Amino acid sequence: MRSIIYYVREFLRPEWLKTFFFARTAPLETPSYFKGYPARTEKECTRCLSCMMICPAPGAIAVLRKKDQWGPEIYPGHCIRCGLCVEACPEGVLSSGRILDVTRRDGTAFWSWYHLQVDDSLCMRCGNCCVSCPVNREIDPQLGATGTSSSDEVIMRIEGGRVTILHEEKCTGCKTCEINCPNRAIRVARMVEGVQGEEAEA
Amino acid sequence: MRNILQKIKNAVRSRSIHVSYVDVGSCNGCDIEVLACLAPRYDIEQYGIYVHNNPREADVLLVIGSVTPQWVDKLRDIWEKIPEPKVAVAIGNCPISGCVYNRRGTLTTPPVENYIPIAASVPGCPPRPTEILSAILSVAPLIFKDYEENQK
Repeated sequence: MRSIIYYVREFLRPEWLKTFFFARTAPLETPSYFKGYPARTEKECTRCLSCMMICPAPGAIAVLRKKDQWGPEIYPGHCIRCGLCVEACPEGVLSSGRILDVTRRDGTAFWSWYHLQVDDSLCMRCGNCCVSCPVNREIDPQLGATGTSSSDEVIMRIEGGRVTILHEEKCTGCKTCEINCPNRAIRVARMVEGVQGEEAEA
Repeated sequence: MRNILQKIKNAVRSRSIHVSYVDVGSCNGCDIEVLACLAPRYDIEQYGIYVHNNPREADVLLVIGSVTPQWVDKLRDIWEKIPEPKVAVAIGNCPISGCVYNRRGTLTTPPVENYIPIAASVPGCPPRPTEILSAILSVAPLIFKDYEENQK
């Protein structure tokens, strides 16, 4: 009997009734360190397009010109908020969550280069790639029509009837060779690697 | 009299939103976020939103995923089964743009607006449970409040 009275009294307490009927979970606020849509900082965009090249979602970011100033634009229906553009930007034009703080603290960066690959079973040794390459043409204006060259400074040349890649690091990734290859034998791939410490500063 | 009835309906409807969700071909990431809304951390039911999977009892349809060809006619069927007043909310990037599936060679036909009318969309891949919650809570009163009055 005493216990029943105890329970009735307990359940009629105003505080208990208030919690029972009106308890709500606290208003849920997004913490500041959550990755949101990348926002512009006041830094100036140099239009290197690193953000567009690393973006994994189709049509999520575009670098557009607004009144003589270039700047990245994020499209929310396409962006997946991965934050790779924030990390890839060498100028820190975009910011999202604490990505910029973390990359500065850890001294991390993305290092990218262009990798040239020739499939020997498809290549017919026409030399179109060597001739069409704008960097090749600038280095060696005397480049032969078949892609042979006496200069050792060119990106690639025909040597002994096959394409030899000499200086991959000079490639600018314009893909002119890919377009001019009749057999799709040459491929330009953009390679990205995460680096930390002294490598990142270089 | 009619005004009083309408007021009662408004009061009841604002605390009782029935939600049904349909996945028309996604990666299940957004499904998991909708399920997270049901869990005690976000607790969708404290706002009077009840999630079940019968479109005939639903007011709000959550559409998840980029539309695959097999879903096109079935999605329209589901939409027609929902009694008026009804509203569809697109959850995630997929119903808006196709997200990462919007590439050559994929069997998807986004956006979902081509098949059923969408009242609100929640971008994100996946969107956060709080964003889903606030989208449902903000779009439901716009459609359901004074529905009978607005019909005339």
